[in-house]
Amino acid sequence: MKKAERIARLFLFGLLLGLPAALIASRWYSQQISPGRFVEIHGRMPENGGWMPDEITARAGEPLHIRLTSDDVLHGFAIGQSDWPEVEVKPGQVSETTLTFAHPGTYTFYCTRWCGPNHWRMRGTIEVTGEGAAQVQSDQPLYLTLGIDIDAPHPAEIVPNRTPSAKRGAALGIEVPAGFREKGYIRRHSPVEFWRLLREAPFTLGLSDEQVWDLVAYAWISGTTPGATEQGRQLYAQNCAACHGEQGQGDGVLAPAPSSELHMEADHGLKSPPDFTDSASMLGASPALLQGKIVRGGMGTGMPYWGPILTEEQTWALVDYLWSFQFDR
Amino acid sequence: MKGSSHHRSRKFLLAWVLIGAAALLIAFAPFPNLHRSPSDRFFRVEAGNFAYTPANLMVNPGDRVTIELVSTDVVHGMYIDGYDLDVQADPGQPQRLTFIADRAGMFRFRCSVTCGALHPFMIGKLHVGQNTLLWRGMGLAVLLGFAGIWMVRQDRNTINP
Repeated sequence: MKKAERIARLFLFGLLLGLPAALIASRWYSQQISPGRFVEIHGRMPENGGWMPDEITARAGEPLHIRLTSDDVLHGFAIGQSDWPEVEVKPGQVSETTLTFAHPGTYTFYCTRWCGPNHWRMRGTIEVTGEGAAQVQSDQPLYLTLGIDIDAPHPAEIVPNRTPSAKRGAALGIEVPAGFREKGYIRRHSPVEFWRLLREAPFTLGLSDEQVWDLVAYAWISGTTPGATEQGRQLYAQNCAACHGEQGQGDGVLAPAPSSELHMEADHGLKSPPDFTDSASMLGASPALLQGKIVRGGMGTGMPYWGPILTEEQTWALVDYLWSFQFDR
Repeated sequence: MKGSSHHRSRKFLLAWVLIGAAALLIAFAPFPNLHRSPSDRFFRVEAGNFAYTPANLMVNPGDRVTIELVSTDVVHGMYIDGYDLDVQADPGQPQRLTFIADRAGMFRFRCSVTCGALHPFMIGKLHVGQNTLLWRGMGLAVLLGFAGIWMVRQDRNTINP
């Protein structure tokens, strides 16, 4: 009797100590075979909460294992300003991905598939702590350095009567001084400013106003590369065309239609996207101003804040592409 | 009396053979080939609000069909049963699907991306060729009607000669 009681006590004691010990050991073991943090993220339409959780912490240099699933519709997961491939997040399925951040800093993750009308609001952050140099910070956007007010209207007082063509501009055989064809110059000035400058320059004396516009187009297009324009075209299709329209006319499928309820509430800050084919507003804008609008977003519209998502190179590629709505190659 | 009955049953048998032959003809006769030579067909299908517009696509067998799927709200897809074709389109990025409609019949297409609460009901139809089943069924129903009328008249004749 006494012996059986002792065995029972021993068994109970072993159970009480052994279970937690086994748990700790198994955790330690799983850390040994795949070190790092484990996070499970659920995707939901932004109206229902967006990413859950939307704030994640990680250590620099340590792998972060993410298990992704969706609670409603198809989503996509990607980290802004990075080359990590995007992951599809499907309801009823778990997608796994492992990220390792080399530098501490704040990273933004976002939804890459149009999951609902507020799709672009679906974002979250990963706070990466640790020693070492911080995430490579891109320079301050050019519009801030130049002090451009990107909310102010930018009408073009002079517009061409036909679409300026870079080809015709090149055929004029006039050598525009190299300083004016540099990115550094072009990005800071609007086409109208450049046109005025060229109009007053002695080497355009014999040219018509339209020919000067062709020259502007030539200088503008020669500042871009076909590769960057193609990259811009793809980025535009993926991120912008849904609202701004495939042809840049501000008539995308998700843009508030003039008769829609959204438009009725225009006083509350919703405006239709601008028409990129409209020279009267486009030619008064400098590339720096357009880039500022992309980076900061807002403007009292539903324009997203692309700063943490797109790299500086990508924003310039987009701006390069926008000029193709104004100038022929 | 006996001769008349014999005569009647022969007439009866002949009528049934005729009806049976007509039924077989309606059910299995090759359908007249009305359509012209295969052509290129283009459809712009808007997907939005859990529906396809247009939801019924009619083509002729052998046609080269191009479907441009345009999403007007969220990401939608189109999977065509029987042809095992799939395409997905995000808003602002129309996607195209080109195939030869080499299988005749009616095929459903449905959304292949979980797009929201009513996603399972987002379906449409692709009609390749005429709906012969419908025409044949109608023909058989009409034939059945005539046969019924004839039988009733026969019965009446036997009851009140």
